[in-house]
Amino acid sequence: MISQFFVLSQRGDHIVFRDYRGEVPKGSAEIFFRKVKFWNDDEAEEAPPVFNVDGVNYIHVKVAGLFFVVTTMVNVSPSLLLELLQRIARVTKDYLGVLNEDSLRKNFILVYELLDEVIDFGYPQTTSTEVLKSYIFNEPIMVDAGRLPPLGPAAMFMQGSKRMPGTAVTKSVVATEPGGKKREEIFVDIIERISVTFSSSGYILTSEIDGTIQMKSYLTGNPEIRLALNEDLSIGRTGSSSTYDYRSSSGGGAVILDDCNFHESVHLDSFDIDRTLHLIPPDGEFAVMNYRITQEFKPPFRVTSLIEEAGSCKAEVTLKIRADFSANVTANTIIVQMPVPSYTMRASFELEAGAVGQNTDFKEGSRRIEWNLKKACIVGGSEHTLRAKLTFSQESHGIILIEALLVYAPRNLTKEAGPVNMNFTIPMYNSSKLQVRYLQIAKKSKTYNPYRWVRYVTQANSYVARL
Amino acid sequence: MSGHDSKYFSTTKKGEIPELKEELNSQYKDKRKDAVKKVIAAMTVGKDVSSLFTDVVNCMQTENLELKKLVYLYLINYAKSQPDLAILAVNTFVKDSQDPNPLIRALAVRTMGCIRVDKITEYLCDPLQRCLKDDDPYVRKTAAICVAKLYDINAELVEDRGFLEALKDLISDNNPMVVANAVAALAEIQDSSARPIFEITSHTLSKLLTALNECTEWGQVFILDSLSKYKAADVREAENIVERVTPRLQHANCAVVLSAVKIILLQMELITSTDVVRNLCKKMAPPLVTLLSAEPEIQYVALRNINLIVQKRPTILAHEIKVFFCKYNDPIYVKMEKLEIMIKLASDRNIDQVLLEFKEYATEVDVDFVRKAVRAIGRCAIKLERAAERCISVLLELIKIKVNYVVQEAIIVIKDIFRRYPNTYESIIATLCESLDTLDEPEAKASMIWIIGEYAERIDNADELLESFLETFPEEPALVQLQLLTATVKLFLKKPTEGPQQMIQAVLNNATVETDNPDLRDRAYIYWRLLSTDPEAAKDVVLAEKPVISDDSNQLDSSLLDDLLANISTLSSVYHKPPEAFVSRVKTAPRADDEEFADAAETGYSESPSQGVDGASPSSSAGTSSHVPVMQPPATPAPMPDLLGDLMGMDNSIISAQLVRRDGQIFYDISFDNGTQAVLDGFMIQFNKNTFGVAAGGPLQVPPMQPGASARSLLPMVAFQNISPGAPNSLLQVAVKNNQQPVWYFNDKIPMHVFFGEDGKMERTSFLEAWKSLPDDNEFSKEFAASVISSIDATIEHLAASNVFFIAKRKNANKDVLYMSAKIPRGIPFLIELTAAVGVPGVKCAVKTPNKEMVALFFEAMESLLK
Repeated sequence: MISQFFVLSQRGDHIVFRDYRGEVPKGSAEIFFRKVKFWNDDEAEEAPPVFNVDGVNYIHVKVAGLFFVVTTMVNVSPSLLLELLQRIARVTKDYLGVLNEDSLRKNFILVYELLDEVIDFGYPQTTSTEVLKSYIFNEPIMVDAGRLPPLGPAAMFMQGSKRMPGTAVTKSVVATEPGGKKREEIFVDIIERISVTFSSSGYILTSEIDGTIQMKSYLTGNPEIRLALNEDLSIGRTGSSSTYDYRSSSGGGAVILDDCNFHESVHLDSFDIDRTLHLIPPDGEFAVMNYRITQEFKPPFRVTSLIEEAGSCKAEVTLKIRADFSANVTANTIIVQMPVPSYTMRASFELEAGAVGQNTDFKEGSRRIEWNLKKACIVGGSEHTLRAKLTFSQESHGIILIEALLVYAPRNLTKEAGPVNMNFTIPMYNSSKLQVRYLQIAKKSKTYNPYRWVRYVTQANSYVARL
Repeated sequence: MSGHDSKYFSTTKKGEIPELKEELNSQYKDKRKDAVKKVIAAMTVGKDVSSLFTDVVNCMQTENLELKKLVYLYLINYAKSQPDLAILAVNTFVKDSQDPNPLIRALAVRTMGCIRVDKITEYLCDPLQRCLKDDDPYVRKTAAICVAKLYDINAELVEDRGFLEALKDLISDNNPMVVANAVAALAEIQDSSARPIFEITSHTLSKLLTALNECTEWGQVFILDSLSKYKAADVREAENIVERVTPRLQHANCAVVLSAVKIILLQMELITSTDVVRNLCKKMAPPLVTLLSAEPEIQYVALRNINLIVQKRPTILAHEIKVFFCKYNDPIYVKMEKLEIMIKLASDRNIDQVLLEFKEYATEVDVDFVRKAVRAIGRCAIKLERAAERCISVLLELIKIKVNYVVQEAIIVIKDIFRRYPNTYESIIATLCESLDTLDEPEAKASMIWIIGEYAERIDNADELLESFLETFPEEPALVQLQLLTATVKLFLKKPTEGPQQMIQAVLNNATVETDNPDLRDRAYIYWRLLSTDPEAAKDVVLAEKPVISDDSNQLDSSLLDDLLANISTLSSVYHKPPEAFVSRVKTAPRADDEEFADAAETGYSESPSQGVDGASPSSSAGTSSHVPVMQPPATPAPMPDLLGDLMGMDNSIISAQLVRRDGQIFYDISFDNGTQAVLDGFMIQFNKNTFGVAAGGPLQVPPMQPGASARSLLPMVAFQNISPGAPNSLLQVAVKNNQQPVWYFNDKIPMHVFFGEDGKMERTSFLEAWKSLPDDNEFSKEFAASVISSIDATIEHLAASNVFFIAKRKNANKDVLYMSAKIPRGIPFLIELTAAVGVPGVKCAVKTPNKEMVALFFEAMESLLK
């Protein structure tokens, strides 16, 4: 089982180190860090999450810019260890409110106390914040969350985590508020990450929604919760074929999940009848339900792109995005990126007249153009266009390139540029039409009326338009 | 608690330790707690605060759990380095293990189990026994794991105290968490023991399946993984298991899902109904696909497993190829695995979609990924005959982009396509030749040269093309040189004109005289011979038709695949290697042996080995490093070399040794040859516990040895002193060291006949009585095929010298039957009947003895005596 657990900073400093079995030779953290930093002859390639060096198996995830690592000497289940690492990160965040180097260092005694309850002799015991509460006696020391960079969608991608932390919730589940009294509230976030690939002609090649219903409860007394979803929700595609005919199936409005799974606290007794989930939410943040949809849906953005030759060493790029959602929804910051041919030297941009809150950039190092649109300007139904003029080098590239340009220019440009990819977050919008019809808290008291937050968020996962 | 813990890190001035000491002894509780926190802080950053041991232990007696936990944490770290002081903590530990608060009881056993110090371990047994039967499940589940800890320290103690049975009882516990931990502990103990300890019966099976529904996700994984080792008795049971496990596929924890998949796949082997199998395949697909929505790290593990699953059961995901299309933000390690699975799932039905994807990937930024995508197109062409043409046209499109590494990779795969479909796609050679000048990678160059040689007759200027490569022949890497050589020969055989003739001369000359690569030289000589003696034969050899190739890259052979499928959801299935290939922990029976050897190596040697062995030594693992050289005894002891004993090389030194019996006393006859350049002295020897409890009866006395000198010593031995439990075997593990060289371990064999006592002779009548009194199932016989009795009398005399005493003989047809007796200490007799024809190979040995366990060893001994 697990021999050691450690957390390293991005620079390789030990933040937490716990040896459970004393069987791994000294220096494992250093060996790990060197291996990860210089995977594959110090190229920029990322190390796989599971590898073996000299008989020691290293399993790691990156959370909040930190390496969470376990080592083992035996043939165990790596998915168990990876899940465990994610869970340790989450439990720690539940306790500390925020998860970063600073909070871990300030609370190292609490963290060690947690680790001793979570893992015994290398065997995971419990990762439920709720259960752990009765064994943990240290109290967290809060770090100032205000100084932290906001946990935007970009931060989420850096963590490589699907289960985005409750957007603004950075308070500990155990710490009492300065005022002394805890605020009764519960957060339910429906987070959907969508992946769409458009072909060059704008046709949708693949589309997928990875959804999570995430909950974070600060309710005292752990009352039972009823969470009602769409009544016409159905699970499993009929037939084994990969083509579907939705119109004939259930009137087009029904939500069909390909597959879903639930947190262990969820009772599904009445789920088949009225699509209601019953649960007693444990403390801390957890995913009530994960689901996956490949049913067709209306992508929130249409992207059109065009690259045309304009003279021997020039090309013109036109990028157009249209927000295909209702006008009362506004998307957060959008980033549109497009790789350009490697022999591009300069790019000049032309935004539509009167454009506000937009900026453009040519990233020379990574050879791509970038277009940022600020929150205010992406109202549903709006459309935006960017034109960019690319100038290619003449001298530095050999004859082959010039020749290639002359002979094959139209085809080559589309091969060497693109695809366009988009990154965005749209609050209070979800693509799947999955809804929480109601959220009921079963606690009989007239005065008891906790805050209930049901929030929808749609984020781009892999949103790509090919040229 | 107030203030920031990090403040404890700040004081690093001199005099810190005395200051802490003072604070630890403060009369104020809070001050003491703060002080312990400071100590722990210092400890975690690697400072040595072991000198505060006594002061910290003094804080242990407290009702404050927070403080107690801190002290325990300190103890775990430093008890090993202060074994003598650790005893100070024992009292509190034992007291705590009886505390009314279950948390404190559990904490006490948990912590004691982590302290690998003899003195603590001794006192652990009683509390552990109580805690295994505690009323509180939290205490029981902690105790269950503690048994595994104790087994790791001292396996014997666990067996002697009956903890294994207690652990097995916990499988029936009413708390699923306790069940899960008991299962985990038993599985670990089983892993390190060769004896069957934890075997799932149909009874435990149903208990485990019930617990499965209720325990935590982690417990579910422990239970599922144990169940995966269970072999269902019949189809019905297999179907029942599958039915109970299938709901786990819906779990949000990927580890639970993968472990469930493993069991279902294994049980499916037994299920014959195609309907059931098809249905199961259908049920497994969505959860497997859902794994790809998890974090990229888990996706990677899932993809490595799916790679194996689709090789065995391609139908499961045959319709799901789209989910393996790469996302632009997938990490490279995920993309690479997806590509591999796309190739495996590619079929005539979906190939157009797949090619479209590959083409897109081939223009991405990451060079390795692009190369792999190009190669994937080629592999699809080889796999799917009907799609080959479409694949080739995609490759040609890519070549036209003229990105150097794309072109080179394309040429490499096109060579394979030509091999697969000879005489089909040569029309594209002209296009390939356009890129000739840009090739700079050996593999691409070699491929292009192969193509030119293979199709020399259809390429008008083949000789010119090859000639352009020949200019740089001496500088080319071996791979290219070999291809150039062969291609030139092919060209010459196909177009035996003047130009090629000159080329072949130059190449052969270059490849024989100017090279120091033997492969190249030998191949050139063979060609040269062939061409000069019989050009027609050369044609038959060089231009022979080649066997058809198939795409077997990354395909595992079926036995390895089955092996890996049995290990789904383990590291083995991620590395695609069997567990033995990377897990170094060896199984031995019994486990304790290993440990002691390791310990002996660390603690240094006791001058009186007989004590050194038994004083059971876990304390020695206290050394700073936890890495110990562990000898790996072979699964079966090596056959005993006749009278030379075992030979063991020490550098150039040789130890040879064997157990002998002289005048009723057992000796270890050991001789040394000093093959080093140094004087060797300070020899010591130690024996591991063994079946016969053989140990040194005194120190090994070997005088200092000059280089080249040899010495011999008869070490008196004692037997039946410290017997290792478990099935009897003849393995004797020996460690020898001296002051100059590292410790040497070797395996010797204990020839059982050294224990045959001088008192083994029986009277005829008592022999007959004894023979009759023993039941028939105490009789065993064995044929020694290689043994020959050339003279009855000589044999009797020879055996008598080893205390096997003759009683009677009779004739039976052409065979002689001899009756003999022998006795080993503790009065265990062996009644022997030997049947053989004089001078004819083959001796039948029958034996009756009350001690059945010893029979195998007895036969071993007799066989060696009769050699």
